This record gives sequence, structure tokens and C-alpha cells, in this order.
Amino acid sequence: MSITTSSHAVVGTPLRPLRRGRDNCILGGVCGGFATRLGIKERNIRVIFALLTLVFGLGVLLYMTFWLVLTRSGEEHSIIQQIFQNRREAQIVLVAFIATLILVIALQSTGTQVSDGFGWPLLLSAFASFAIWRGASTDERNHLTDFFNSAPVIGGAFSKSRKGVVLRVAIGAGLVYFGLDQLNHLGGVWGSAGSALFGTAVLVIGVLVLFAPWWLQNVRELTSERRERVRIEERASMVAHLHDSVLQTLTLIERAAANEGDVVRLARNQERELRQWLFSPETRTNASTSFVGLVGAIEHDVENDYGVRVDLVTVGDCVPDDRVTTLVAAGREAAINAAKWSEAASVSIFTEVEPNSISIFVRDRGVGFDLDAIPADRQGIAMSIRQRMSQLGGEAFITTAVGDGTEVQLVMPRTT
Amino acid sequence: MTDSAQPRVFLVDDHELIRSGIRAEIASSVDIVGEADEVEAAIEMILERNPDVVLLDVHMPDGGGQAVLRAVGEQNTTTRFLALSVSDASVDVISVIRAGARGYVTKNISGPELVDAIYRIAAGDVVFSPRLAGFVLDAFSTGQDDQPNLAVDPDLDQLTARERQVLRLIARGYSYKDIAKELTISTKTVESHVSSVLRKLQLSSRYQLSHWASERHLN
Repeated sequence: MSITTSSHAVVGTPLRPLRRGRDNCILGGVCGGFATRLGIKERNIRVIFALLTLVFGLGVLLYMTFWLVLTRSGEEHSIIQQIFQNRREAQIVLVAFIATLILVIALQSTGTQVSDGFGWPLLLSAFASFAIWRGASTDERNHLTDFFNSAPVIGGAFSKSRKGVVLRVAIGAGLVYFGLDQLNHLGGVWGSAGSALFGTAVLVIGVLVLFAPWWLQNVRELTSERRERVRIEERASMVAHLHDSVLQTLTLIERAAANEGDVVRLARNQERELRQWLFSPETRTNASTSFVGLVGAIEHDVENDYGVRVDLVTVGDCVPDDRVTTLVAAGREAAINAAKWSEAASVSIFTEVEPNSISIFVRDRGVGFDLDAIPADRQGIAMSIRQRMSQLGGEAFITTAVGDGTEVQLVMPRTT
Repeated sequence: MTDSAQPRVFLVDDHELIRSGIRAEIASSVDIVGEADEVEAAIEMILERNPDVVLLDVHMPDGGGQAVLRAVGEQNTTTRFLALSVSDASVDVISVIRAGARGYVTKNISGPELVDAIYRIAAGDVVFSPRLAGFVLDAFSTGQDDQPNLAVDPDLDQLTARERQVLRLIARGYSYKDIAKELTISTKTVESHVSSVLRKLQLSSRYQLSHWASERHLN
């Protein structure tokens, strides 16, 4: 379907069906579509339409007609087709058309020369805009909403902020005043303008009485439709996440059922991931920009690589600098040590960020060891932890005894 | 027929699988006097059977564990509650403790640990998991600098140095016995410190506690 996706026609390319542009559009993409179809620059087409507009608004009318009739690139139906495919939309648009006609007749009867000059094209364009809005695809509506929201004056009037409301009221009041003024000029005196106003008011009330219930019902249906859509979208993102993570893990668990260690590891992994997704979405993206994020990575890696449960408790957080990364690296080594050698099923990590210092405690209730008789290979690790810490002014303490578990305390000062 | 030393336990959880799992793990060590899978039934049966300890699921339809805590707490002061949850989001933990639970553990706790927690709750103790201790430290430590003008009731709104010490040790994974040894105090003293922290947690009007939930969500 998406045949005219490139924004510039290349000379010598075969003819393409006439589609409204998607990438090269400002409003409806009509000019862009012609440009692609005819191999002319978009700017030239836009100038032609602008010039035509000077002739009793012909350019605008043509533009609107093409907008309604041409299919948007990448979509299957034109807006007109979309409107007539949906019975309710067709009704709405038909009623809007009748309302436009009534308005024209009413204005005629009050003496305004609608048929002259720009009156007709203006009203028809207004009607066409309405039809376009009703019939446009969600994607196109989004495009138009963005467009109007970014427009200098209209965008402000659309916004719900206080400034927007003030702007809207100002514009509205100005228009009303202008309209009254015009009516006043017609009759020359307020007397005849008064009767014209009265007539218009009666007309408006009449139309309201006729159409209000039906209109209200439509509005209500539209809001419930929108709510439903939001719910469906939320559900879809939930389903997508559950599918990507939980379902995959469950499948892995089924396949690893024979290996108890694997099952526990997979389940813990998934649990941690899901918990983070549910309860602290803010850390999802910036895991490396916070101390807690870095420590969380230790938890993840130790559980994954050594199959040992890590109970992580964090108090406070800060932005990592050199000292923090060194501290975390030492903490990681301590945790890996505990996972490798302690023979305990779990390792507790507690971190606290205080105004003057940051501490990490790594504790296991495993076999422990005799500090004075450390095997050479483990002394190296203990030394490396101590050295790293002391290089940046921190300290490391190791408390342990055979059969009584081990605790490594790491303290790093914060300010120099 | 039941051993009088065994605490009478009531189980509230809306998931049948979790209930049966817990039942299997603790049935031999405690006296399970009933279970419920919804808030209304739980309230009625707990008031009727008057158990020593209620294992309470935090997340249930119709108000969850907090609704049960509030309704039962008004009429029955002898039953104690141990909150069980799959999540350990700080919002849940703090609010369920403030609603009156005497302890909070996550559902992946091992069977023997859970039994131990039940016995301690039944004996009037408070059960703080390491994570809960961390949350409490967080809740009581933040805001002292950024809200100096806030009226502070020192009896309720601040932890003593000793209480902080005890909480830190809990957070580091120490048992009450380990803590007593480390601080050379008796286990009873450790327990009284923890109970006092619980009281502060429940009664303090600290901004950080009452607005904990919304704050955490906003950040």
C-alpha cells in the first residue's frame, strides 16, 4: 500500500498513484501528494493553491476536496470512504452538512450576502474541516492535533492552561464584538440588528432542541470509546512486557525443571526484574547514574553468576563519582567472595548514604575463616579490597571467625 | 487435640496456591484455625475465632490487608497481625505497619523463618525484615535538612541513636541474638528498641511517613 513514501519524485520514475503525502505534509499532504505525483517541487504547488485561494477562496475549496477524496499514503481508504463506511459517522457528517445549509439560508434571510465573495467557500471549508476531522484516521488526527497545538495562536487557545483560557476568551469576545458590529452596520441602527439577533438566537435554540440529545449521546459514546482505547493500550503494553519477560522465564523454568539451582536463579532474576518494573520504574533507565543502581547491579550479577540469594537493603542514594565507583567495586568483590567461599545460601548487602560518608556492609552466615590464617589466594582479595579503599581515603574492616560467618564493612568519606 | 503452646494462626490471602503453600510449611508447627480469601469473610471469621496471629496478605481486592487491619483493630486488640506480601514496595510496607501490623515479611521467606516470625509475633515481639529496617531508616532520616521548620515531636518523630544502631544491624542481616551480642545488651532490650521504633512508626505524624507513598511516586 505504501507506494509514495519517498518525499521527492525522481525524474524518470514510473507514474505513481495520487496519494496524500505523509512525510512531506503540512496539513493534509495534498500539495505534497501532487508534488510526488507530478515530480514538481512542493513549494510550487503550494504557491499555486495559495494563488487560487485569492479567486473567491477556490484554492481552499480545492484543497479541502482533495483532502477528503484522496487516500493518505500508507492508508487504505480516503476520508470520504472512511466516513461512509461507518454509519454513525455518515449520519454526523450529514447532519453537519444540513446545519451548514440552514446557517447559509438563515444568513441569507437576514440580509447577509453569503453568496458573495468568500462567504460560501468559508462555510463549505468549515464543513469540510469538520468532515475531515470525523473521518481522519487516528494517525492523521494525531498529526493534526500536533500541528494545531504547535501553531502560534490557535495552539494557545487549545491549551488548558490559564494563559490559554485567557487567550481563548479574548479571541472569542473579539469575534463576538466584531460580529455584532457587522450586524449593526447592516441595519444601520441597533433596531434591525436586534431583530436579526433575535432571529439568529431563535434559530440556534431551535437547532439545539433538535440535535442536542443526539449530540450529547455522541459525545458520551466518544468519551467512553476513548477510555476504552486507553485501557486497551495499557493492557497491550502490560501484555507485551509480561510476554517478553515473565512468559519467557516460565518457559525457561519448565525446561530447567531438573536443575534446582537454575530454577531458583531464573525465578529470582525474574522476580527482581518484575519488581523493578512495577515499583521503581524511574531506575529502569538510569541504572548507572545512581549509587543504588550500581549496587543493584551487584545483586543481579552475584545472583546470576553464583546462584546465591542476595538480600539488598539500601538507605539513601547519591550520584556516583570516583569514590563511589571504587566503593561499589570493593563491595562487589566482597559480595563475590562471600558467594564463592562462604557456602552460605544468601548474602546480605546493606548500603547507607549519609551526609559525610557512604557505607557498604556485606555479610554472610557461612563458614567464616580465621583472619590470622588466611589462605594466600584469599588474602590477595582482602588486600585488594583494603588497598582500593585506602587509596581514596576509605576504610575496610573484616569481621569473621570460623563457623560464624563473615562481614565486610566498607566506609568511604564523601567530602574532601 | 492441639498443643496449647502452639500459636493459633489465621491465614488471609486471596491466592489459593499461596495459602496451600504456607499451610504446608507451617502446619506442623502452629495451629491453623482458619483461612479466608476475601476481606469481608476475613474480618468476620477473625473476630469470631480470635486467633493469636493473623498472616495477612497486603494486596487483596476490596481494600486489601489494611481494610482487615482497620476493621479488626477497632474491636479486637488481642489478635496480632503479620503482614505478608510479594512486593516490598516501601509504600506497602510503611502503610501496612501504620495500619497496625506488628511485622512485615515477604512471601519468599523460608518456612522455618516464617514459623519463627509467627512465634515472635505471638509472644508480643515485632518482626522487622532487613528491608523494612532500611525503609524505616530512610523514612526517619530524610527531610531533617530540607524541612527545618517542620514541628518535630522528639518523642515520636526522631529515632534515638541506639534505635538507629539496632535498625542498621537488622538491615545488615543480623538476628536479634547477633545484635544483642554485638551491642552487648540483652535480646529483650533489642526487642524493646524495635517495639519502640514500631510505635514511632505507627504514631508519628511525620510528613515523611504520612506522605511517603505520594512522595515516592512523584520522585
